[in-house]
Formats: sequence, C-alpha cells, structure tokens
Amino acid sequence: MIKKILIVDDSPVARKMLKKCILDQDQYEIVEAIDGQEGVDKFKEFSPDIVFLDLTMPVLDGYDALKQIKILDKDAIVIILTADIQPKSISTVMEYGAYTVIKKPAKVQSIKDIIQKADNKLKGIARATDEY
Amino acid sequence: MNTSHENIFSEEEKDILQEIMNIAFGNATADLANIIDIYVVLNVPDIHVIGVGDLPKYLDETIKLKGESSIVEQKFWGDFNGSGLLVFPDRTGKDLISVLDHNEQETFERPLAILEQEMLVEIGNILIGACVGKVADLLDTFVTYSPPQAITQTGESKTTLIESFDLNQSAIIMKTVFEFEKKNINGFLLIITNSECIGWLRKALNAFMESYE
Amino acid sequence: MIFHQIFEMVNVGIVILDKDMKVYQWNRWMEIHSGISGKKIIGNALFDHYPALNNKWFLRSCKSVFAFGNFSFFSQKLHQYCFPFKPVNTLNCKFKFMQQNCTLGPLRDENNAISYLYIMVQDVTEVAAYENKLVEMNSRDGLTGVYNRKFFETRLREEFERYKRYNTNFSLVMQDIDFFKKVNDNFGHLAGDYILKSFASTIISRIRGADIIARYGGEEFCCLLPETSIQSAQTLAEHIRKKIEGMAFDYEGIKIQITVSQGVAEPNTRMSTPDNILKLADSALYEAKKTGRNKVVTHIIGTSPEQASMPQSV
Repeated sequence: MIKKILIVDDSPVARKMLKKCILDQDQYEIVEAIDGQEGVDKFKEFSPDIVFLDLTMPVLDGYDALKQIKILDKDAIVIILTADIQPKSISTVMEYGAYTVIKKPAKVQSIKDIIQKADNKLKGIARATDEY
Repeated sequence: MNTSHENIFSEEEKDILQEIMNIAFGNATADLANIIDIYVVLNVPDIHVIGVGDLPKYLDETIKLKGESSIVEQKFWGDFNGSGLLVFPDRTGKDLISVLDHNEQETFERPLAILEQEMLVEIGNILIGACVGKVADLLDTFVTYSPPQAITQTGESKTTLIESFDLNQSAIIMKTVFEFEKKNINGFLLIITNSECIGWLRKALNAFMESYE
Repeated sequence: MIFHQIFEMVNVGIVILDKDMKVYQWNRWMEIHSGISGKKIIGNALFDHYPALNNKWFLRSCKSVFAFGNFSFFSQKLHQYCFPFKPVNTLNCKFKFMQQNCTLGPLRDENNAISYLYIMVQDVTEVAAYENKLVEMNSRDGLTGVYNRKFFETRLREEFERYKRYNTNFSLVMQDIDFFKKVNDNFGHLAGDYILKSFASTIISRIRGADIIARYGGEEFCCLLPETSIQSAQTLAEHIRKKIEGMAFDYEGIKIQITVSQGVAEPNTRMSTPDNILKLADSALYEAKKTGRNKVVTHIIGTSPEQASMPQSV
C-alpha cells in the first residue's frame, strides 16, 4: 500500500498542480523537496513509497537525483515528470531506472492511473511494465 | 528597472507564468524533435516585467551585445499578443541549412544572401510559433501570426525594430537561450507581451491554476 | 451560406486540407486557375495533383500548422509560387508561372482542436513584374545596357561565397579598350559612346547566358564567368581579342578600329575577399597594357603575371 509520497520539483506551482492531481490526498503523507539534492536527502530521511521527480532543477538535476536515489534503493519507484518527452530523454531516464515518465502538465487521470499501478506493484499483484 | 512594473503580478502569478513557460517550452522542444525533426535545447526561460520606456533600452542592450547579429521578428495576435524575437549572433543564417536538413544540392541554385534570409525566416517562424503556440494552448486560447521579418543588417534596421515598440507600454519579456544540438548554433528567443493583454493574462493564469483546484 | 458565397467569390485561392493532406475544400478561384474542378479534386490527396509540393519544406510547414497552430508563409520573393498556374495576363509576362504569396494556417473546431489547415493563394505576378523591372533598371549601365559595377560586385561576392562554400570554380576577365581617349579625341564623344555600345554587344554575342558582363569604369569592362576554368576563360578572351581586332566599327560612315587588352584570373584558396581576385585580374590587365596592349595576360596561381603572360602582339 502506498502511504508516503515524495514530490521533487523546484516550481511551487508544479508541486501544487501535482498535489491537486493526487486524489484523496489525506490518505497519504506527502513530503516536498525543491531541488534534486533536497530530494535525495528527503528520500533517505523519509523512505517514501513513490517519488515524483522533475528533471530540470537547480543544484542537482533530476537525472542525477534519480541515479543517487536508485543507488540508495534499487527498487525505489521514481516517476519522472517532464514537459520534454523526447524518446531520447525517456530512454535515458528509463536506463537510470525510472519507473515511468509522465508528460507535464500533469493530468488527474494519468496520476491516478500511475498511483494505482505503483500500488499494485507494491502489493505484488502486478508486475511493473516499462510503459509510459 | 521600474519596481512598480515588477509588481504587476503577484509572486504566485509569476510562479504560475514561470511554470507555464517551462511546460510550454518543454512541450515545444519535444514536438519539434518528434514531429519535425528539429533538435533544439531550450533553456529554462527568464521572465522580466519591464516598465515604461525601458523596453527599447533593454532591447538595444540585448541585441547590441551580440554585434552583427541576425534577428527574426514575428508578431502574434489574439488574447495573448506581442512579438517574438529570435536573435542569432554573427550571421548564422547559412548554417541553419543543416538544422533544417536541406541538402546542399537543393539550395545550391539560390544566391546565398537569399538563402540566408530564407533559413532565418523559416527557423524563426517555426521556433517562435512553437513556443508561443504552446503557451497559448496552456492558457486555453490561440493566436494568429504576421509573416516573420528577417533583419540581417546592423544599425538602422535594428533601430527601426526597437522604435517599432511602443514606448508607453510595459511588457513581459520571456527570454530563453537555445542551442541546436550538435550544430553549435545558439541564440536567444524573446517573447514580448503587449501591455494591453496583461489584464487578460492575469485572468488566464488564475484560470489555469483554478482548473487544478 | 453567406460565408460560403464569399469563399467562392474572393479573388484569392483557398484550399482546405485534412490531416491526411486530402483536399477538403477547393474554391472557385482555385478551379479557374488550376483547371481542376472541386468535384474532381475534393477527397483526393493534394500531392496526387501537385507532386512537387511533396517536399520537405512544404511538409514541415504543414506539420507545424497541425502541431503548433503555426502559420507558414511562402512568399513570392523566396518561393515564387506553390501552385504552378499560368499567369493571368500572358502578354508581356516574363514569368512562366503565376507568382504567388501563399499562407498556411490552422482551422480549429469548437474545442480549439486543429483538424484542418488552409492554404491561401494570392496572385502577385504584377507586383513581382514591376519589382523585377525596377531591380533590372537599377542594375544596368545606362549607356551600354550591360550590368553596372554595383550589380557586378554583388554577383562577384555571391560567386566568391559559393566558391568558398562549394568550391565551384569561376573566372574573371577584365577588359580595357586600348587608346580609347584617341577615339574620343579624333571622332568625338558620340563616336566614343557608339564604340562602347558596340564593344559591349560584341562581347554579349560571345558569352553564355549565365555569364555576366558589366561596365566597370569608363572604357573598362569585366566578365564574370561562372563554372569556367581559367584556361577556358583565357580561350574566350583570346577569341574576343581577335574578333575586336578584326572588326571595323562603322560610325556614320567612318570606320573605326579598336583593340582590347585583357587580364584573366581565377580565385584560389588563399583569398579571403572577392577584392583579391579583382586585384589579380586588374594586375594582369595592367601587365597586358604595359607589355604592348591588344593582348591577353592570364594570372595563373603560383606565378607572377609576368611569367604567365602569353604575349599576343600584333
């Protein structure tokens, strides 16, 4: 069961938009980080069930934050949120071990679906597939 | 910079605008690559609100810094209206042939001066259109465009361009640096919003956020 | 209903295409100028009728209309036309095809989604013809009708840039009528003018369509020969020399004979500006003058004009 969600994005608006897309927010404990470094630190501290990660951020960008998180926990479920969904950037983050990529702006339906899917994975009901 | 103009938008409105620009430019980058095979890296845009009379000075300084630059200007109209300016340093027009993936044979027949103009106008139209179009999409409106104009000479025509902006308007300037991948061609893109649409823009920004409430 | 009448009435071509590039609408203006009825073309792929439009440039424009709602402008200046139509006024029309300004843009449904694109075609043949006339007038020498120096320098710069970029060869022949001052002194300025005109038309009769001859100064002319080796240029110059030498120009019953000195040069990789090649041709011409006139001196790379000179004394 997903209980804890970490949102890593430098834009306060993007974080707010994402939170609005997470239905039944009160079911979850949500923690936010404003750059990649803080994201990695909070990941250690908070051990979230899933992470929503932006790619373009100051201090430490999403690519490096993803790599570090995967080193900390190779099974971490990290969902990349980006506006630039080129096959090239998608394959890079998938190689780094991202769970999936979601196109910005986030939409309620796609966030709902992905949380459901991650939840199933955690419960061991369904195997994760690398689609986006 | 005139602080009263910086205060046209609240902090939150500026954040929303910033995020809309990030998303719009990211979407534009992806579609340019996926749909029309143009590979460009658009950096995170900077947003300034510039006050009465500061716009010509800003433009003058921004453009002059680049010496003999090539500029493409295109106006757009609608709820969201203003001008897009694409500035290339040092007359890169001819090198854009490779960005547009035209082989030399196809372009061989034309005089190079005309070719340079063609390439500038074409790439200007595509980049300005892609970025402005995506911003308009997110703000739930659409725009129409005037034909782009290429300005390759220094001096007079730049002055004319600068003077074509109304001294009495305040404007939102969105500036981004871009680079064509593997081509070593870079420049910057300015989207200058007319003051008359600032009221509309504020409403649209809030409506954008409300759709998430 | 009213809008549909306007659609048929306007003096502009309007084509509407769907996302598969099939013709959805084709107005009367298009029917008239294309000779293809709406009935026949609607529902067909545009490229079946106009395969030349199936090019990178046009396709990219269409894609950016659908992807971004962009407008695309095919100006007459850059593209001449999109649709190969006959010009309306064929009398005195130098254009093989109607000159057009074309605009592409999106058409949206009630949800703002782009489902069609339009092409608007404007006939600008007349304006383009006037403009060409003006440009032409501005590029000619008033007396001889050959190109003027300004035009020559522009073309030389373009040819030089092309050489730098594509390594396409070209040659220059500088020409100066020998003892021209004597023609003026002995027979008057009108005779001198007549000689200049006759000289120019003699050269025109010897060069190809793509070659450029310009009046460079008083009695000095210059030929720009694209894609021509220096050897061929030298041969041409020698033909001209012989031709002029053998001619007797008839000015109001007076027979006037002249000769011409010529300097020939081609660009080389060490040159950085078109002025370099001009200087080379000029110094070869000077050499021809100095060593007896009525001769061709060719500047071959790596040699001084002296060594390369091929005296053709009379």
